[in-house]
This record gives sequence, C-alpha cells and structure tokens, in this order.
Amino acid sequence: MRKLLFLIVLIAHTSLLFAQESTMSDPEITSFKAMVNKTSKTMITIQSNFTQYKHMDFLSNDITTKGKMAFKAPDMVKWEYTDPFKYSIIFKEDQLLINDSGTKSNMDLGNNMLFKKLNQLIVNSIKGNLFQDSDFTMSYFKDPKYFKVIFIPKDEKIKAYIASFILFFNKEQADVMEVKMVEPTNDYTRIVFTDRQINKPLDNEVFTN
Amino acid sequence: MKYLPISLTFLLFACASFPKKYNLGRIDSDVAIAVNPYFSDISMDYIYKAKINFGEKSFGGIFVVKKFGPEHHRVVFTTELGNKLFDFSFIKNEFRINFILSEMNKKILISLLKKDFFVLTHENANILNHYQKIGDSTYFETKIGNNTYFYLTTDERLHKILETKGSKVKSDYIFTELENDHAREIKIQHKNIGLTIDLKAI
Repeated sequence: MRKLLFLIVLIAHTSLLFAQESTMSDPEITSFKAMVNKTSKTMITIQSNFTQYKHMDFLSNDITTKGKMAFKAPDMVKWEYTDPFKYSIIFKEDQLLINDSGTKSNMDLGNNMLFKKLNQLIVNSIKGNLFQDSDFTMSYFKDPKYFKVIFIPKDEKIKAYIASFILFFNKEQADVMEVKMVEPTNDYTRIVFTDRQINKPLDNEVFTN
Repeated sequence: MKYLPISLTFLLFACASFPKKYNLGRIDSDVAIAVNPYFSDISMDYIYKAKINFGEKSFGGIFVVKKFGPEHHRVVFTTELGNKLFDFSFIKNEFRINFILSEMNKKILISLLKKDFFVLTHENANILNHYQKIGDSTYFETKIGNNTYFYLTTDERLHKILETKGSKVKSDYIFTELENDHAREIKIQHKNIGLTIDLKAI
C-alpha cells in the first residue's frame, strides 16, 4: 500500500513537473508575436540592471558578474559591468567600443560576432522583427511565469560555438527578462535582467567610450 | 683581425650563463623540488580578470583554472561576455585542446599558451642547481621540457619564475598579493615579443 501511495505521489509530481512548461499552439504563437510587436513599438529606451552567470560544468560555482544594460532605439546597446570589475562594451552602428577599466579600444576578438548576434536578437525582439530572422529555427514554449523561445542557429559556423539562444519573456508585456546562450558542450551564459526602466530619457552620451 | 678578441669577448659575455651574469652564488641545499602552490587546491575555482597587451593592442577576458588531480588542470579563457575563446586540459605530459576559437587556432599561438599555462600550473619542478644572491631571493634552477627556468623564492615562498636562454631572461611570471597559497595577482611578460598578461583574482 505504501509503495502504491509512493508511486501515485511520484507520478503526480512528475506530471506536475511536465505541466510547468509546454509548447505553444499556433494561435498562441500568433498572439504572442503580436504582443511582442505591440510592446516593441512603444520602446524607445530601456535601462536595466543585469546579473550574468557563466556556467561551466567543471566549476564548483558559476562565475557571477553584475552591471547595467542600456538600450536606445534603433540599435544602440551598452553592457556595463560594474562588479567584480569595471568593463563596458557598446554596440553602435556596427561599431564595438570597449572600455576595460580605463583601457579603451575598439578591437573585436572575433568571437564577439556571437554576442553581436545575441545583441541583434535582443534589439530585434525590442524592435519587433525578431521572428523574421531567417538565421534561426525557432520553437515556442509557455509556463505560468514566462514565454520562452529557443533559437537554434542554422549556420554551421555559429553552431560550432553556440547550440542555442534562449530568450525568456515576461507574460505581462512580453519583454525580455532573461537570455541564455548555450554552448555545444552544454556550458552556458545566463543573463537575468532586473529593475527595468522603460522609456526613461537616455542621453546619446551614454553610448560613447 | 684586431677585432677578433673583442668579438670573442663579446660572444663569451653574450653566452655567459644567467647565474654568472647576475652574480648568483651557488649554494648547497637539500631541497630537491621547487613548489608552485598557486593552482594546487582541488576545491578552488581559480577565476581571474585578464588583461592582455600585445604591442599596441589590448584586450581582456576571464581566465579560469581548475585542478582535478595530481598533474591535471583545466585552463579556460572566455570574453567578459562569456564566450569561450579556448579551453585546454593538462594531464601529466598530455596537452588536450577541448575548444579553441577558429581565429585563435594558430600553431605558434597555441604553443605559446601551452607553454605559459603549463609553467603556471606545474606544481613540482626538480631542482638542478641552487643559487643565492646576498640580500636577494634564492634561485632554484629547473628544466621544464627543454627550457630553463629559475624559481625565485623569498622566505620559502615562490614569487617569480624566470625563463632564461643563456644569460637572457625570455619571460617572467610574477606572483603577488599572496594569500596563503593563492596568488591574487599574476603577471606574465614575454620580453622578446612584447606580450604581457595581467591576471587579477575576482
């Protein structure tokens, strides 16, 4: 009897777990896309704090870094790391401006192409043309707390570095609350946004090095 | 002909050994192993913010070292944004590339990185000779591969490794901000090619 009870509880729990996240239906995808498009049209600036977790399976703890992200339409983005070191990177009109604790450069190390792609994804999600990106195969999921879209690159070269980009959207405004870049080894970089401020005035000066 | 003795003297001086050039006196010692303890703790994630200067160019990243067992380390370098640039394993004398960005997959660069990170994580080096300079560090002469290194210790604590060729210092590895067996700052300098790597623990 106890075994049976245990089995029932286990099955109930398992089905609950599976119930947490499910695939969106076609009408749900259509309405989700419309929601993202509507939100994106109103967004001129975003300022947000972020926490980045670099997960590598062999480490005991994720490497945690924190900072601020600023976006200004149409395509200016600044990632400013403040803790535990000062470092900023600005994406502006195909330029990449870096300030590494006072050492300024505009050098790209090649692999930042991936971050450019991720950045483009975020910018596109804000602009509303995210789902027109033909470089990815997309799949859509929902959960009581979020919408999730998995972007799998089609390009073999990108695939060698990144298995997927995963964007989490909040359910109220369908704006991006979390981004995950998963490597082919399953190591990943996860960026969680907090304290978002929408359309607060943001000077262009912020996007200079 | 009159220049021959001068040339020979110059040649002799140029070929002089490192201890001779720096007036190091040979000493007797029972110490047989030079120990580098700075990546020896299996329970530690060694995480450093790296700043690399090469000529006029400068770029940064996150440098990660993890020890898995005796003579077994993993060394990973990522950008600040999390993209992996390279991922190496050192298992005894075996060197394994787990991942390297195609743009960095150059034989000469890999060989340089392999040498640097092997020296950095190599814990026990057999001492060939002991030297001392009055009022200065103790110098342990060792060989890693075919290269000669001097481990400089003060109060039995390693603070510098010099790679030498003849009398010249080719590269140095400087350990500072020492907290027990953790070097919170490390500087690697390659004198001949103008490459500097600064590591600060985060």
